[in-house]
Amino acid sequence: MELRAELATERESPNLMRFGKKLVMNGIMLLFTASCIFPLLWLGYSSLKTQAEFSNSIISLPGKLHFENYVEAIKLTNMPQLSLNSIRVTAISVVLIVLIAFITGYFVARLQFKGKRLMVIYYLFGLLVPIHALLVPVYLLFKETGLADHWYTLVIPYVAFNLSMPILLVSSYVTGIPKEIEEAAAIDGLSFSRTMFMIIMPMAAPVLTTVAILQFFACWNEFSFALVLLKDASMRTVPLGMSYFKSQYSTNYPQLMAGMVLSMLPVTIMYFAFSSRIIAGVMAGAVKG
Amino acid sequence: MGKALRPTRWLTLLYLLPGLAVYSFVVLVPILSAFRYSFYSWTGGPRRSFIGLDNYVEIMRDHVFWHSFLNNGLMTVYGLIGQVGLAFLFALFLLSRAVRFKALHRTISFFPSTLAPIIIAFLWTLIYNYNYGLLNEGLKLLGLERLAQSWLDLSGPIVLLVSIPLSWQNIGFYTLLMLAGLSAINKEVLEVAELDGATGFRKAWYVIIPLAKPTLMVASLLCIANNMRGFEHIYAMTGGGPGNASSVMALYAYDTSFLRFRYGYGSALAIAIMALTLLIILLSAFALQRKRSTDGGVS
Repeated sequence: MELRAELATERESPNLMRFGKKLVMNGIMLLFTASCIFPLLWLGYSSLKTQAEFSNSIISLPGKLHFENYVEAIKLTNMPQLSLNSIRVTAISVVLIVLIAFITGYFVARLQFKGKRLMVIYYLFGLLVPIHALLVPVYLLFKETGLADHWYTLVIPYVAFNLSMPILLVSSYVTGIPKEIEEAAAIDGLSFSRTMFMIIMPMAAPVLTTVAILQFFACWNEFSFALVLLKDASMRTVPLGMSYFKSQYSTNYPQLMAGMVLSMLPVTIMYFAFSSRIIAGVMAGAVKG
Repeated sequence: MGKALRPTRWLTLLYLLPGLAVYSFVVLVPILSAFRYSFYSWTGGPRRSFIGLDNYVEIMRDHVFWHSFLNNGLMTVYGLIGQVGLAFLFALFLLSRAVRFKALHRTISFFPSTLAPIIIAFLWTLIYNYNYGLLNEGLKLLGLERLAQSWLDLSGPIVLLVSIPLSWQNIGFYTLLMLAGLSAINKEVLEVAELDGATGFRKAWYVIIPLAKPTLMVASLLCIANNMRGFEHIYAMTGGGPGNASSVMALYAYDTSFLRFRYGYGSALAIAIMALTLLIILLSAFALQRKRSTDGGVS
């Protein structure tokens, strides 16, 4: 009885109701998407205004494009140096993460060895540890061992804190590769190491690419450990350099915005170049992780 | 696997050791050393004096620490609503036939989560700015100029105000997580439900939510973990202010150690944060798990 009543109302005014619902749902989504992109566009076009123009009307488009803000921001932040440091730290970290996660993930997926379960739990623990609680102890450790303030300093925490998830992703991906492939390789006389690196690693390329892209973002954007482990200005990464720039020159808003746009540029290009791949990778990771 | 493919014990060790070494050095060693330092009064110099449990006794009485802990909790609640809740809604919308431009919504809304938290924090500091902020400008356009504020100076709603950028940044990520979980749901079940007359809200409540429970659980746990460890956004937006109104645990430990040079107490705080966070994550995992099994074992 109840069911019939419900169906009847659906039939009475289906078009109007459906249209209204459609409008609301699309409206909410469009509003949200706009709220995601508008502040960033605002940042982009405001960075091309003069300071007077900006304080006159913060929301209007620039009359003439002032690229001077960018020239100044590059000079004041020492952006080339910051970028070089960030690129170096990120590149080395990502390569090491992919390599270690591949080897460890492969061992977890394919081999039985003593302490395997314990090792997996140990790595999983890394997902739960509140890493920012470790800022102080990691700082003390790096100070005592003299590891702070070098060009390689940040590689150590970046690799360590970004191993857990990639290991899980790789091992679940490798589990899906048929075992016969390794058996065939063994019959052909390939050693264990050659099979792992020359046969399986290329086959795991999709998951390794996902790991590399996601860890690129994680390492490039990291701020906290850079903040506590680097005192030397010449070692600063982009996010760290930006925080000093902001506290020192925050009165000239368009210039600050130009600096922010510059610091976002590599990630933005990377994202919009590979967005469908990144999204597919995150979704695959979400299902498997 | 064939015998020829088994690596020797030494080779296994050789391959697994680098990862374990670097991971242990940055995760395990600091935890152990923080535990040791937590029994000392130490300002960073060569002198360390053993004071037993005094640091922990002080933590128990430390109002700022417990206030920060509560702020973490409050941020978690806002996060569960603003990140997991909204993301679930958006994922339902994006799965519905009625919504258009799906790829565009997905691509744009995920973009902020690839940006550095520190940049998001700067951006929102600008949005909240009294003279040059988008928020006040928007209010002006709506004729609500009298509501204009210097937003980040409001100590009352400050935790909510700093939680909004966090949600804004992370919704896209949680939406993808939900989409992945929801699209794994058997389409036939949904079709049967629709034939039975469950549409729209009823379908979401009675059919999709129970089926999506594992996804919702993972997302909630992730959200709880992320909010308990929040640091960068707060550091860059308010520095914990006004006063200590928006302080969070990690920021308080940072201030204690690096501004007041109390490394012993800072180490004890690190241990306390770790213990509290793990406790909360385990408790919520337990609670969510139990809820799932009492709901009739839909998993």
